[in-house]
Amino acid sequence: MTEMTLASGFTSDAFAAFLAARQEPLWLTELRRAAWEAFEKMELPSRREEEWMRTDIRLFKLDRFGLPGETLPGLTAPPALLTEGVDLAGRTASLNSRPGGFSSEGVPPGVLFGNLEEMVAEHGDLLRPHLFQIVNPQADKFAALHAACWSGGVLVYVPRGVRVEKPFHMLSGLAGGGVDLSHALIVLEEGAEATVLAETAGDDQPSLHCGAIEIVVGAGAKLRYVNLQNWGSGTWHFAHQRAVVERDGALQWTIGALGGRLAKVNQHVALVGDGADTQVNGVMFTEGKQHLSYHTLQHHQAAHCRSDLLYKGALQDHSQLVWRGMIKVDPGAQKTNGYQRNDNLILTETARADSIPGLEIEADDVICTHGATAGRVDDQQIFYARCRGLTRNEAVRMIVAGFFQQVFDRITIESVREALGHAIGRRIREYD
Amino acid sequence: MDFQRVARLSDLPDPGRTVVEIDDRLVVLLRVAGEVFAIDDVCTHDGGPLGEGELEDHTIACPRHGAKFDIRTGAALTMPATRPTQAHDVKVEGDDIWVRVRD
Repeated sequence: MTEMTLASGFTSDAFAAFLAARQEPLWLTELRRAAWEAFEKMELPSRREEEWMRTDIRLFKLDRFGLPGETLPGLTAPPALLTEGVDLAGRTASLNSRPGGFSSEGVPPGVLFGNLEEMVAEHGDLLRPHLFQIVNPQADKFAALHAACWSGGVLVYVPRGVRVEKPFHMLSGLAGGGVDLSHALIVLEEGAEATVLAETAGDDQPSLHCGAIEIVVGAGAKLRYVNLQNWGSGTWHFAHQRAVVERDGALQWTIGALGGRLAKVNQHVALVGDGADTQVNGVMFTEGKQHLSYHTLQHHQAAHCRSDLLYKGALQDHSQLVWRGMIKVDPGAQKTNGYQRNDNLILTETARADSIPGLEIEADDVICTHGATAGRVDDQQIFYARCRGLTRNEAVRMIVAGFFQQVFDRITIESVREALGHAIGRRIREYD
Repeated sequence: MDFQRVARLSDLPDPGRTVVEIDDRLVVLLRVAGEVFAIDDVCTHDGGPLGEGELEDHTIACPRHGAKFDIRTGAALTMPATRPTQAHDVKVEGDDIWVRVRD
């Protein structure tokens, strides 16, 4: 199959041409230039680094990809899963980092929603304090590449005190061996409320997503954010995602991870104001030779904050899941209540799950708990179910559904529970 | 799966090893006492890069924690590895090394 997206390669000439074609505020151009310099200097991460020890990217060839070119006609974005029966405030879609659909009928006045590239041209001063201030644009070579070359992406900006009832939806698609370098920026000012559903979809061609998500939950604001990674089986996915939650703000962040060939994601939450609250939910299901690696950080920087993370994964075939989680409590972050848990259900002997919870506590009046389990489907449960007239296959499905129920119970958005449940149900093999 | 030509014998010293890509997987070719063997470049303990390990007779030790594997069969010989790594079929014809990947 021929590559259908025109790739120019991540060369300095291509970058110069990319910059020249843009009309952006000077500060942003400078930020891109600095990131590009860092990108050129840095090596791809090596397995000698603790964070990359379990994630082998030697088969990833960066030079096979390039800055997103003009998408050739005929490519279409695969369908969305999370919007079934949902009345949306607005939606955006992109394909290979290019805009591919937009509507905003239900967006209340004052709320900014749309293509981040366009928004930054219009509202540069408003966005400057946030854009690439939440994630580190030079955390590694992928972060630097993204910061230099990002295009497309979405902005959700909800001003002070505005409550948006209906969810926003954003779909990023990859097709024909494309590249997605989109950036998401979500800012809720003090007392604002919103629900954002983001998902990805793609075909099975070798493709690249190198992205970042930045979230600001202002004082007393409430955000429900769902991020479903559902790329095709050929996608390399590298992402830095970070949220900052201010005083008495509340964030519910749900991650679904179903797709991709290899994913390496840093999902960080910083609780920076007293009384901030965050709940992180993760639902993973892997198959084939997928390798998904999630590195979470719950960083308690202020007192009286609560963070509660639950990741649940089921694995089949030769797939691998890595979760490395850290609760970090700064000095002074007293009365912290931190929890993290990762459970994995291993459906085939050849699958592998690595769970590495960690605590780093520098305050002396805190509750921090962590746990991890990994196990196979219980033969006694299967036996019991079969005594009741179920086939082995029905029993396995029931046990998998029961395994995920605990995390589904925490997800307060029905369409998300249903989409994840159906997607997992479709993937479970016949275990007769 | 058919045999694929993956390297030249003259590029591989005896004893010696090299890592090659075959069908989206990384395989270590090892040459010891005139014979060539192929195993996955994966330590079954924690996924370490076996190909960078110490080679001694027909064993290779993972550089991370020292688990030893038999390069002829992939068998795990010492803790902390308990499961074999995958061994592949090898044939040498003239100067060409051919490998058939086993799953």
